[in-house]
Amino acid sequence: MNAAEELKNALPNSVVSISFQLDKPLAIIKKEDILKAATIARDMGFVHLSVITGIDYCDRYEVVYNFLSYVRKQNLVLKVILDHNNPVVDSLTSIWKGADWLERETYDLVGIKFSGHPDLKRILLPEGWAGHPLQKDYDMKTEQFVTIGDDGEDIVSTDGSNLLRRKYHGN
Amino acid sequence: MEKGGIRLDPVTIDTTKIKTIKRRPVTAIDKLEDTGMISTILAAREREGLILFSTIDQVFNWARLSSLWPVTSGLACCAIEMMATAMAHHDIARFGMEIFRASPRQADLMFVAGTVTKRMAPRVKKLYEMMAEPKWVIAVGACASTGGPYHESYSVLKGVDNIIPVDVYVPGCPPRPEAFLYAVIQLREKIKNEGYGAKWGLNK
Repeated sequence: MNAAEELKNALPNSVVSISFQLDKPLAIIKKEDILKAATIARDMGFVHLSVITGIDYCDRYEVVYNFLSYVRKQNLVLKVILDHNNPVVDSLTSIWKGADWLERETYDLVGIKFSGHPDLKRILLPEGWAGHPLQKDYDMKTEQFVTIGDDGEDIVSTDGSNLLRRKYHGN
Repeated sequence: MEKGGIRLDPVTIDTTKIKTIKRRPVTAIDKLEDTGMISTILAAREREGLILFSTIDQVFNWARLSSLWPVTSGLACCAIEMMATAMAHHDIARFGMEIFRASPRQADLMFVAGTVTKRMAPRVKKLYEMMAEPKWVIAVGACASTGGPYHESYSVLKGVDNIIPVDVYVPGCPPRPEAFLYAVIQLREKIKNEGYGAKWGLNK
């Protein structure tokens, strides 16, 4: 019995379906039960949360959690499917401190909001950047430039005239 | 300047009559001739005049190109190759460049080694503006030259020449240390031909 089947036995009402992602056991979880399922997975031995990432499928968002068990030497993948208009899911920072930056990255690039996150702000792009770049409807035509303000803060604008020395050859 | 009945006007000097040395340099004297200084002095003696500007230019250029000090800055994986260039195997000290300065105030040359992201671009520009004149820039790798594999990206500047002037572009992803050294040699050729002497055709 693999880890996804164990999880389905433990939480039959929360696990929507189980399958494999490549050779890793995959369990699709109801989005309101992700905290409960992650707690069970941690107690099963999957103590290491290696990656959180998100995918835009145009009609829905998926958030993927990759777990690793050092004891069992196995991987486990959990997925939640979110509404495209309002992608909100519970944060895992109450279980893993390290989920903080992973969730900030997912928020920054994919635009998924994590309720209960202590400090949900951008981590890679500067504050003020318009849009989340890994969304399929991200505007690639508009170039955004960053300049440094008086206090060392990043200022984002579409006007790069005080940064560029000639007309920008963009798209 | 009127001397010996010959009018020496630097603008109208016939440059076709100045012989260039084409043989390969073998000895130290040959190498000195190869820089063009001796031929200029001889040409000045033939004309019984002293061409002051070009000679000073050549001394300055020789001094500048002989010890370029790069600023210690790297942006991405090309910087690893830059470090390899500075290490013993490829040994950039052969060109008088072993002193990578930690302060842009003391540096003449900047290797823009790596991907220039939009967020890093104002910092790179600030670093360049902090360097004292005269200063030169080598754009290393595909990313710094044009954006490279990230040309279609939202977050990468499409070439560092959008924000600062670039003297030498090095293709490659990342370039080998030999390409760094070749770029340095090209930059030295460029510095050798800077100034009024070169414009009048007196440098070599």
